[in-house]
Amino acid sequence: MSSVRAFWESLQDRLMFLPPMPEQADPLALMALLLVAGLLAGEGLYRMAGLSRIVGYVLAGALAGPGALNWLDGETLALARPVADAALGLLLLETGRNLDLGWLRANPGLLRTAAAESGLAFAGVFVFSWGVVGLSPAWSAATAAITMTSAPAVVLLTAEECRAQGQVTQRTLLLTAISCALAFVVFALVLGLIHAEESGDGLNAFIHPIWVLGGGVLIALLCARLALGLAARLEKGGAGQVFVLVAAALLAIGLARMAAVPVFLSLFLMGVAVGQLDRNRVLAYTSLPQGHWILAIVLFVVTGAMLPLGEATGLMLLQAVGLLVVRGFAKFIGVMATGREDLSAQRRRLLGLGVQPLSATAVFMAAELAAFYPEVSVQALLLPLLAAALMEFIGPQLCRRAFVLAGEAALPNREPPP
Amino acid sequence: MNAFANLPFATSRPLTLGVELELQLVSPRDYDLTRAATDLLSSLHHDGRCGDVKLEITESMIEVNTHPRQDVTAIATDLEGLRGLLVEHCRRNNVAICGGGTHAFHRWPERRICPGERFAFLNERYGYLSKQFTVFGQHIHIGVTSGDDAIWLTHALNMYVPHFVVLSASSPFVDGADTAFDSARLNAVSAFPLSGQAPDVRDWAAFLEHMAVLQACGVAESIKDLYWDVRPKPEYGTVEVRVCDTPLTVDRATELAAFAQSLARWLLRERPPIDPPLQGLVARYNKFQACRFGFNAELADPLARCKRPIAKALAGLLDSLMEDARDLDCHRQIEALRRQVESRQSDAGLLRGLARSVGSLNELTRVATEHFAQPSRYHRHD
Repeated sequence: MSSVRAFWESLQDRLMFLPPMPEQADPLALMALLLVAGLLAGEGLYRMAGLSRIVGYVLAGALAGPGALNWLDGETLALARPVADAALGLLLLETGRNLDLGWLRANPGLLRTAAAESGLAFAGVFVFSWGVVGLSPAWSAATAAITMTSAPAVVLLTAEECRAQGQVTQRTLLLTAISCALAFVVFALVLGLIHAEESGDGLNAFIHPIWVLGGGVLIALLCARLALGLAARLEKGGAGQVFVLVAAALLAIGLARMAAVPVFLSLFLMGVAVGQLDRNRVLAYTSLPQGHWILAIVLFVVTGAMLPLGEATGLMLLQAVGLLVVRGFAKFIGVMATGREDLSAQRRRLLGLGVQPLSATAVFMAAELAAFYPEVSVQALLLPLLAAALMEFIGPQLCRRAFVLAGEAALPNREPPP
Repeated sequence: MNAFANLPFATSRPLTLGVELELQLVSPRDYDLTRAATDLLSSLHHDGRCGDVKLEITESMIEVNTHPRQDVTAIATDLEGLRGLLVEHCRRNNVAICGGGTHAFHRWPERRICPGERFAFLNERYGYLSKQFTVFGQHIHIGVTSGDDAIWLTHALNMYVPHFVVLSASSPFVDGADTAFDSARLNAVSAFPLSGQAPDVRDWAAFLEHMAVLQACGVAESIKDLYWDVRPKPEYGTVEVRVCDTPLTVDRATELAAFAQSLARWLLRERPPIDPPLQGLVARYNKFQACRFGFNAELADPLARCKRPIAKALAGLLDSLMEDARDLDCHRQIEALRRQVESRQSDAGLLRGLARSVGSLNELTRVATEHFAQPSRYHRHD
């Protein structure tokens, strides 16, 4: 290395345009390399082992992150964060658009199933965190709020990856969207609890949840109306409409970051607003461009790097596994105990499997909380983050398995040529 | 000993009707076809009062069958019951359902063959044609008393295949493009080697001999392997008209059933002269004319050795059928068809107009689901 440096410096003496020898790799270049590594790992696992590509992306991020090889340090992660925010935001926009209120009106039993699986998951994780792990009530509630939801990005991308269609897929997407909505509301309320417990500051405890929810709603409405208003002037289904939708989503992400309102909440609400306010169905058939898979790779690579794998002790890992067992069981029971009238037990079992993933949304929710009380949250949030870390590798597989066993995945070569 | 040597023709009451409709299952998200048939059927609980609901070859299709009925109002009541049942069940499962002979923009490689031995056999035999067979038709059964009558009526009805095509045409779009056909569905059927017209056989005994030859050569195992435009159906004791597109509404399906019943009665009563070999010369051409040009088609008439505009021929025919329609108590439906001929407005024309006004084929399909969701005005109110 020193000979290279000496050669470079000798060149610099003669070539005035040469910059100083770089001390470290440019974060953008490193990110690009990591994206390619993530892509190759994902494709490799998909083609050779039949695993979800998402597992490969997370694996690449986890290996390169601070917990393992440390190629992706804090600075690089901070640089990649806006891109990851955009990726998660766009996927949550789609999740929000998937929240089909018309379906819920036609089949109110679905709302009961969603309330049961999310409610039981919250209650189960809260009791486990408080009673077994020994977290404080507020941090137990935070842990429960973070882990009660399924993983919208994982579910959406797995359904796309498998080109899955059918009742198990549709209901997994819907339950995930509803559990997101519930988790975000609970999360906002928990912010107040945390303030009350950590600083005893009643004003912040009261105003912060209102700021988060109100801000999210305002940004969502503003950007949804902007997108719909502009798109109505453009050719239906054309590239212009896709551009407007993506641009409005990026604006919402920017506004949310400026106003310190969670990006995931704002974009999810924007998706719901776009779906509900679009009476003339201006954007109803406009999908995200296929390029969003690139964003998904960034999201999961960054999420993988954010996982606190290096900080885990044996006990903590055991507690994380316990949390996942309690959460998984609660979600499964919630799904199995409801909806008997219109879904067979076998289909409900697969639905219970499909809603298990826990991923980027949880990690980003934890990051929001950590920003306020970094010194306390490092320990307090380790449990949900470790649970998310484990589920990053298992969740996509469970979801994929559910779709495949339901016979809803259009896997290559499923039907042998005649 | 072949299976056809003594195939009996089940006797049914003359002019009983039965209707089968193949329907499209679409996603309310983007109105593309979706794989839903097996899921829907497995969770559907019904008492069979109005008929049956069945799988079709791909997961994006579902078939409804009425019971055999003596009158058109009973058919309308069955169709309305099945429509209401399916629309409600689909809503609960976030699926939408509609008529129309083709889906406007689906991609056939994405279709999935339904589970079942028969469907697996068809997929094995016909390859990609089986997925491209995701097209949607209305079949009408008309009861006859004997096999000989069935053969005669099959030949007689063959002359009116273009008329059925024009009245039912509802498939102008395929692969996201306007085909310039009013009924593009039948082009998918034509690709099958056993499609077309029934052979020129004199009576039921001759028909059985013909079938025995086909079976001995391994061409067809049973009559259901034959995708003829009109074919006898011995197990039901009927003649089956198979050329109609599934209309956008069950009312139009009822009107087509009324047309079939009145026409069969008129034919069996009048016994006009038929000449199957001569008709066979122009059958494919006439069907093409009807599919391509709809009400503007010009039919070759080999008996009179001239060509006739189909709209004029249809108007005259419907006038001729009015007396039989009154006797059968289906004159309201025939009058509705008469008005349709006068206005020259088919479902295909309606779909084209809608596509222009709504600006996207997704939205066109959504509007088609709304059309199908409309209750029938012909059914009997209990």
